[in-house]
Amino acid sequence: MKVLTANRLIDGDVVFWKAGRWVEGFGEAELFDEAHEADAEAAVAKGKTQATTVIDAYLIDVAQVEGGLAPVSYRERIRALGPTNEPTHGKQAVGGEVIEALRHAHGAARSTGRVDLIRRK
Amino acid sequence: MYQYDVIDREFLTDRSNEFRHQVARRLAGELTEDQFKPLRLMNGLYLQLHAYMLRVAIPYGSLNARQARRLAWIARTYDKGYGHMTTRQNIQFNWVKLKDTPDILDALAEVDLHAIQTSGNCIRNVTADPYAGATAEEIDDPRVWSEVLRQWSTLHPEFSFLPRKFKIAITGALSDRAAVKVHDIGLILRHGREGQIGFEVIVGGGQGRTPYVGPTIKPFLPAERLLSYVEAVLRVYNRHGRRDNIYKARIKILVAALGAEEFGRQVDEEWGKISAERADLPAAELARVRAAFAQTKFETLPARSESFEAARALSPALQRFARNNVKPHKQSGYAIVEVSLKAIGQTPGDATADQLEVAADLAERYSLDDLRVTHAQNLVLPHVRLDDLPVVHAMLEKHGLATANIDLASDIIACPGLDYCALANARAIPIAQDIARKFADPDRAEKIGELKIKISGCINACGHHHVAHIGILGVDKKGEEFYQLSLGGSGAEDASIGKILGPGLSADKVAPAIESLVEAYLAIRTGEERFLDTYRRVGLEPFKEAVYAQAD
Repeated sequence: MKVLTANRLIDGDVVFWKAGRWVEGFGEAELFDEAHEADAEAAVAKGKTQATTVIDAYLIDVAQVEGGLAPVSYRERIRALGPTNEPTHGKQAVGGEVIEALRHAHGAARSTGRVDLIRRK
Repeated sequence: MYQYDVIDREFLTDRSNEFRHQVARRLAGELTEDQFKPLRLMNGLYLQLHAYMLRVAIPYGSLNARQARRLAWIARTYDKGYGHMTTRQNIQFNWVKLKDTPDILDALAEVDLHAIQTSGNCIRNVTADPYAGATAEEIDDPRVWSEVLRQWSTLHPEFSFLPRKFKIAITGALSDRAAVKVHDIGLILRHGREGQIGFEVIVGGGQGRTPYVGPTIKPFLPAERLLSYVEAVLRVYNRHGRRDNIYKARIKILVAALGAEEFGRQVDEEWGKISAERADLPAAELARVRAAFAQTKFETLPARSESFEAARALSPALQRFARNNVKPHKQSGYAIVEVSLKAIGQTPGDATADQLEVAADLAERYSLDDLRVTHAQNLVLPHVRLDDLPVVHAMLEKHGLATANIDLASDIIACPGLDYCALANARAIPIAQDIARKFADPDRAEKIGELKIKISGCINACGHHHVAHIGILGVDKKGEEFYQLSLGGSGAEDASIGKILGPGLSADKVAPAIESLVEAYLAIRTGEERFLDTYRRVGLEPFKEAVYAQAD
């Protein structure tokens, strides 16, 4: 499963794609499963045209974890939560089930975001 | 402290206005991100994981109270109430919005601060000994020369698009608190044979992917020739530096490829073509800059303060603070006070807005309106009267700023790591917090003595892990956070690059491994040996065994 993410231009906040618009919570993000890869690519293409709204739209892998869904890569989990040294800063401040599931997720993989970043350098 | 004149102030206002227009054009879609990114970077604005990060230059780590208060105000107004001190004596705000940045730059400009050249392939903020103008060891005040270089390098047309970023550090003392040997150019003030002032010039040190302790290419450069010589160094680099490969683009790669002698020869050849009259600073201008640092008059005080002696006899906490955080001053009756931003469990180098204001108040009332940031991510009150130490200590204690751990095991340097940084592979802050908790007992920390632990979340080495007594590098091993330990580095006058201890460790194994290293050291040290001395005497083996035998 995949989710489309980016940073919002005006404030840098992490955002996720949901049916043609950008939302702030990972829990609200639109899920693209393997059967709908074309839809995911179409969302990426659309996201990339919104240059005055977001920067660096890219797909991330997500997986089922205890209590919900979470990005596979820990980099993306930190983006979806906020810094781990300040548990009240960033998205994690709202708390709730989605945040708890993200906090307790294990397993890791390289983030496509970082790979893209390195490629661009 | 150097005071901006009308020209400096107009320049900053213009620059801020220019950026305001650039932001507006970006938001309106008139500039693409590819066009805008270099412009925002030139103003210190990065996009990190959660938000934009603004890196504000603190020239040679020196602030007055008004500036520190303004930084506190920015932290409170535009961030989440804190700022992070960096290993290049700058401050970073982690939660900045693009739309607010022009206002922040205006607010900085009002107090003679800016974010120019805190990013990009240009000459970055010049760093210096945080004890400048206060330590008795000093041959000359490095701030004078840092300020000369700052003015000269700001928006220098020839050196704004170098092959890669360029960092200069200066010390006026033989004890190196500025890590000059691991900078692109390191300058050590020296006396010549006839007592004249000059520099030992070190070129091509650095950390990152390919660490080097820089070689000396000029043992003695007459001080008044500084600008022409630095110009020659940069010209040779600008001409021959590797622009084709970002990993080989720093000057250290060029110096290593040519050899220090050949590089020095090419610099001398270039230097010979430069007109001293055009390139070097006129004596009158140097005198103007120097006058700005002419010290506020110190009071004439006895070397011993009876009130301080009486207070510390009654207070073990003050006694401990005096042992670890109070350093000798050149002026009788004064002391240099280090303010630790490494309270146990705290994020290394973070200061809250409230703490910045306390530091500003103390600087204003008790330290001749002078506050410093160190490359070890702490603060310094450089000119405190011994008589005032008890009250300063009490104020610091009240605000969580009196941790008596300077250069001890819990005084850990850590980059922001994967908690904030888009480039990081692994987190650095939680590792530092874990380790600091292991050494929370102050008696034990003092018994262990000087131990510099430094953590970087990626190979770029912002956390100076290569020059740590115990260095920790976060790596991405098949997608997991892993940590590689190295021993025996030093960023001081005895500079060296650490050696890798062995296979990487998972996050939960790092603090126990450090504990094992320290236990091994305590078992084999002789006399007053520091951890680094013991390592240099015995090598890696006993330490390797301590960490890995146990892990099996």
